[in-house]
Amino acid sequence: MNIPMAVQCSGISKRYPHFQLQNVDLAFEQGAVMGLVGPNGAGKSTILRIVMGLIAADSGSVNVLGYPMPSNQIAAKRNIGFIAEDMRLYESETIAFHMEFIKSIFDSWDGDYAANLLRRFDLNKEQKVKGLSHGQRVKTTLMLALARRPRLLAFDEPTTGLDPAVRKEVLDEMMNSMEDETHSILFSSHNTLDVEQISDYITFIYGGRIIESQNKEDFLDGWRRLRLVSAQNRDLPQLSNISDIHRSGKLCAVTVKNYEDSLPEKFTDAGFVVNDIERLTLEEIFLSNVQLAKNEAKKELVL
Amino acid sequence: MNNSIVFLLAKKDFLITRKIITTFAIVSLVMIALVYLLQGRVANMVFYNVGFSLLIIPGASCGIVLLMQTNVFEKAKSTQAFIMSLPVTVREFTLAKLLINLPIFGAYWIVICAVAFYFAFGQGVFPMGTLPFITMIFLGIFVAYTFILGVSLLFQSLGITILSIMFFEMGTSAYLWVLAYMEPINTHIFGPVAVWNSTAITIVALQVLAAVFAVSMTYFLQNRKRDFI
Repeated sequence: MNIPMAVQCSGISKRYPHFQLQNVDLAFEQGAVMGLVGPNGAGKSTILRIVMGLIAADSGSVNVLGYPMPSNQIAAKRNIGFIAEDMRLYESETIAFHMEFIKSIFDSWDGDYAANLLRRFDLNKEQKVKGLSHGQRVKTTLMLALARRPRLLAFDEPTTGLDPAVRKEVLDEMMNSMEDETHSILFSSHNTLDVEQISDYITFIYGGRIIESQNKEDFLDGWRRLRLVSAQNRDLPQLSNISDIHRSGKLCAVTVKNYEDSLPEKFTDAGFVVNDIERLTLEEIFLSNVQLAKNEAKKELVL
Repeated sequence: MNNSIVFLLAKKDFLITRKIITTFAIVSLVMIALVYLLQGRVANMVFYNVGFSLLIIPGASCGIVLLMQTNVFEKAKSTQAFIMSLPVTVREFTLAKLLINLPIFGAYWIVICAVAFYFAFGQGVFPMGTLPFITMIFLGIFVAYTFILGVSLLFQSLGITILSIMFFEMGTSAYLWVLAYMEPINTHIFGPVAVWNSTAITIVALQVLAAVFAVSMTYFLQNRKRDFI
């Protein structure tokens, strides 16, 4: 059975004076959670804005929930709940004002769910936005996005600047919104813990390029760190999937990509003793990927 | 295009700016009362100059504050991303902004014109010969407003909007002096009857066209924008 796609971007590029998003391909099916990970300025917000139709790509095509963007953005945006870290509500108005406004636009507004979220988030709807803390503001925008029951949630750095308790509340509610296989989430973060916690797919972005995009399990399974010991200070075997090497005397830590069970044997054959094989955290995988991307960029510059 | 979303966006802006609109409406009423009280107590020229300022300042201020609040601050305060994440196109966003700003300033402008014309001609402060010239003054103010509104929407920049206010304020004054020195206009200014000669009619028609041009160009250029936050 063909599962319909939530987001499908092909070859999108966008040029700014000091930044360029280059040939981005990004796709995931409905019912999945896609996490975009990258440092500040990597292009995460640009991708999300293009997906939302807020900015137009210079080239490439974007399809969201089956609607081409930005040409069919009205139909798409009826089914998307968008939150951005730099998005603000009207300071002089109350939460209730915003709820009424969203309710007037979306037939799908679920008043009971909104009231439930207000209680769970401990928000007072008569409070003005200017009196809200950062965490309360994020929870308010999340409530406004969720209560319209969108099929796709697009979140740009939703947990930035939140304390751990509020961050957990926000992430839990994001996951609760995944009611069935028709609901999807696309979110960006530079916090790899958040991404690791809730994503099915992970895409690493660096310098306006996607450096890797896979499902989470493949990411976590594909990377290992081998702790090796060599009595005679031997050379490591020439393997293409070694991404990082740290040597200190007889000890050696080798980070490898596309790990296979036969790999330790190759080091043993080369005269090393494999002391330990560790899985990497997503943050370590991300940093290794960034390092690889940097090295490749340097090579391109030299060529 | 979804007309209902245009009205919902305009209504939202109206609700957000309702206190500003009400405050300026009250100030305008106080100013009209002051003008009424001044009548007959000072010389005609002083009465008209002071009265004109008292009438125009709250109306023009309301128009400027409103376009700043709805157009410039929408971007500066990052509420635009919230609005554009809703099922709204640039076209609907632009129409909503025109729909909230133009009628409110237009209403102030009509009231100010009516009051000014009442005192100037109904009370005999000025001879009827000044009617074309005063009509051009008020139309000039409206045209300047439409251009400032366009700049505020197209650039959504505080600095550029303030520059445009200064430019059009000085430009309108200079334009009025040019009008006052145009022979086909100033020949009849102090006459007992309003003379709508071809020059006066052409200038009024050009002013109306300029206002229509400013609004149309704003709509056209805004729709050509590819990036909207």
